[in-house]
Amino acid sequence: MAPPRPNGPIQKSLVRITATEVAPDYRAPWNAGMLGRGVGAGFVIEGNRIMTNAHVVSNSRYLTVERDGDPNKYQAKVLFVAHDCDLALITVDSPNFYKNMLALKFGGIPELESTVSAYGYPIGGERMSVTTGIVSRIDFQLYTHSSIDQHLAIQISAQINPGNSGGPVMQNAKVVGVAFQGYSGDVAQGVAYMVPTPVINRFLKDVSDGRYDGYVDLGITYGKLQNPAQRKFLGLKDDDRGVLVETVVAAGPCAKILQPGDVLLSIDNHPIASDGNVELEGERVEMPEVVERKFKRDNVKFDIWRDKQSTSGSVQLDTVPPYLMQSHKYDVRPRYVLYGGLLFQPLSLDLLEAYQPTDLRLRHFFDFYVIDQIYREHPDVIVLTNILPDPINTYLAPYRGGIVDSINGKKIHTMDELSQTLAEPADRLVIDLIGDGPPLVLDPKQVEGARERIKMRYNVVREQNLQELPTAKAPDLQTKI
Amino acid sequence: MRSLFISVVFALVVTAGAAMKKEAASPPPNKDVKQKPLSLVRVNVTGQPYDYFRPWQKKAPVSKRALGAVLSKGRVLVTADLVTNQNYVELERAESGEKTAANVEVIDYEANLALLEPSEKNFLDGIAPLDIAGDTVVGDRLAAWQLEPTGALVATEGLVTTIQMTKYPVDVGQFLTYRISIPMQYRENSYTIPLVKNNKLAGLLLRYDPRSQLIDAIPAPIITHFLKEAEGENYRGFPGVGFSFFPTRDPQLRKYAGQTGKPGGVYITNVEPNMPAMKAGMQVGDIVLAVGNHEIDQNGNYVDPLYGKIDFTNLISAHSYAGDVLPFQIQREGKPMELKVTLEHRDAKDYVSPPYALDEAPKYLVLGGLIFQELSRQYLKEWGPNWQREAPQRFVYLDRFQSELFPGEHRRIVILSQVLPANNTIGYDEFSYLTVLKVNGQEIKSLNDLAAAVKQPIEGGFIKIETEEDPKQIELEAKSIDAEAPNLQENYGIPSLQRLD
Repeated sequence: MAPPRPNGPIQKSLVRITATEVAPDYRAPWNAGMLGRGVGAGFVIEGNRIMTNAHVVSNSRYLTVERDGDPNKYQAKVLFVAHDCDLALITVDSPNFYKNMLALKFGGIPELESTVSAYGYPIGGERMSVTTGIVSRIDFQLYTHSSIDQHLAIQISAQINPGNSGGPVMQNAKVVGVAFQGYSGDVAQGVAYMVPTPVINRFLKDVSDGRYDGYVDLGITYGKLQNPAQRKFLGLKDDDRGVLVETVVAAGPCAKILQPGDVLLSIDNHPIASDGNVELEGERVEMPEVVERKFKRDNVKFDIWRDKQSTSGSVQLDTVPPYLMQSHKYDVRPRYVLYGGLLFQPLSLDLLEAYQPTDLRLRHFFDFYVIDQIYREHPDVIVLTNILPDPINTYLAPYRGGIVDSINGKKIHTMDELSQTLAEPADRLVIDLIGDGPPLVLDPKQVEGARERIKMRYNVVREQNLQELPTAKAPDLQTKI
Repeated sequence: MRSLFISVVFALVVTAGAAMKKEAASPPPNKDVKQKPLSLVRVNVTGQPYDYFRPWQKKAPVSKRALGAVLSKGRVLVTADLVTNQNYVELERAESGEKTAANVEVIDYEANLALLEPSEKNFLDGIAPLDIAGDTVVGDRLAAWQLEPTGALVATEGLVTTIQMTKYPVDVGQFLTYRISIPMQYRENSYTIPLVKNNKLAGLLLRYDPRSQLIDAIPAPIITHFLKEAEGENYRGFPGVGFSFFPTRDPQLRKYAGQTGKPGGVYITNVEPNMPAMKAGMQVGDIVLAVGNHEIDQNGNYVDPLYGKIDFTNLISAHSYAGDVLPFQIQREGKPMELKVTLEHRDAKDYVSPPYALDEAPKYLVLGGLIFQELSRQYLKEWGPNWQREAPQRFVYLDRFQSELFPGEHRRIVILSQVLPANNTIGYDEFSYLTVLKVNGQEIKSLNDLAAAVKQPIEGGFIKIETEEDPKQIELEAKSIDAEAPNLQENYGIPSLQRLD
């Protein structure tokens, strides 16, 4: 007798995804990158689409999908990737593929302590695996794929391993989450996370217009207002309401209406408690949850307490680009300029991970890029990351790791400006790096004479890339629905 | 560049009572070791460093045992780190175990040297003082002198492999250092170990790496400089000039600087305000070709009669004294010039974030539970040997780049280091490591500024603190702070809510 199958015939929905990926090489950015291969899971949802994690298909050059009981491998293409919440939609063009496949339906947020089952292909096995566990915690978590985004995530006690990624977590025959991250065994055991349905539904709604806009952000920091003296100073009532605006990111949407020292009393007419919580659909959640559910170009309205007067303001929400410097990037070619064997690259999380610099100034520019608003003066923090040795740069090794301040007295703010300035005719190039070190001096004629030599010797196919263009994909995979 | 060497942690568990008993029963010094009366005394130190995380108190006392080199005029030479933050120093004669208290007469933390004097004037009678041997060169053999528990001398020979400039523990500039390869074992009295050449003092142990068996030693020329300076009425310390420089190996850089003639010299990258080099008219972009009669090569070395090529800063630190006028031959855009630089010692107090603060109590001010302090490297070093990675990174940044961020400013950086939970700090207890900008509208450039500003509450009786980092603003009620002060002191055992100067 077959055992009971509370979630139904999952084999008819689950797919095994094999991705061949090329990860950019930040230490040799002119190269295509390192070839890798990964296996993940996915599941069919309505509209002949397959849902999986963004990290399963990121940087992929060739995707295949297999289903249970079918010897064929089907080529798949990416429809949408959401790196900020680690979700993706892919599809298969072959008309036969979806025959006999069942689209899974989504449920809500499962109860704490209720049992859930995770399906996938852990550690790359060919047959479906099922593990069960209970819902342990529902909380905001860092999504490690981008490594800057925090969203709601559900911690479950089911065993999840690489290969489970993208697989459905089911309860009562409905998807209640997508398995996506966990800890390695030596940090914590029995702790796995799934992307819950509020995040999934938001993703599906965002892409319903044919493009993924991503999460929006207020671009502010705020603090609790629990100190009686501070409340009195601000002229607030003793009613446990309001949070203090601390930093307003100039590049964020709130810069137009908020300033440090403002008190936010309510957001979209939801009163904000002094600990930063609001009540949303009967639940106490943190204030940003209101924004989490919104989309690009949606509005948000604040009741504001400023200089002991109440006022209000509304802004159109948008993404806050400076944050992206501190996030992982996928499916893009790294930007760089190679000049006279000197490799200039914009500071980013991927760059730091590739070079692992210990330089205090670099780490400071990275850590405080947004919060100290360094991006205003240095939209690109341009680092002299490497020097390809050549007779013209023999003595320049000590300059490595420096941040470009100006060239021939002209401040350099972006990689584009760097490229243009280096191309301008000049008798000599004097590159000032930030700090009190010596200037870096080059003779453009010598550089010109060494160009071909350096390109040949180091196998440099292109001397610069200034745009984070999507990496080339097979033409038939570019279409979007 | 981080030094390859780590200071060694010593075992400090020998109790004085046990040692005395042992020595009373021990035979006289081994006759096989050819030795006149030993020119060494044991030095026993009880020290108690200040606790920068609880600045109103000291940490638990620690005991250190070491050897001191007996010099002329009844003085004993030890390293400064032995007697730093000492409560009690005691000298002990090796052969008899006789003891007396001692005072620290002169101490130089930067050169890591200190002179002790016994309180009993004739305590050292009969001990032949050590002369200083200033002529050590690479290839010489030096003996490390240690004592057995019995009082017998153990001399281990090692070879001087390198003589170069290195950083000393407090990390202010570089000083001449001997590196010696030596198969030495640590004994109980090993904090300061004299290195001896032909029965003359050639150096004192600076640091030891037991794995590679390499010693760095404070060399005789630095000791001589220290002793000569100590003769004077006011000890001034080692001199400096206040500039940064870079080698001129790169022909493009030489061309940029407009250098003519043969290559050589160093390129000046920074001249610190109010320091000797700036007072003498030195500018960024100058090429320093010679100091005194010594030519400087493209790497920044001069040819020393004893050591050969060595960093030219040795001419300033070891060979010159504060107040000396040193001629610098420079080229400015190709034009030769001579600048007369009057050397000065730069006191630790003259930095924005002082590089060290030893034997002095840290300043602090506790306000309703908020603890304010002044940023210093001494404070950052409370995070341990990896403080540069582990201490709050903004503070490490401010300390490291202080001359660039606050050029010529005479000020301190006041920080809100931590918050003690109390009635006045409800909702503030998670704040820590904040940089204070203003208090009650007044700019804060020292803890004294802050102490003065908090006495002038703003309208409504509030004290408003503005910080560089989030939360940006913190408010307290002046009268509530005063009312709660006794409770706060009682609960957290704070004898005084402030220490200024």
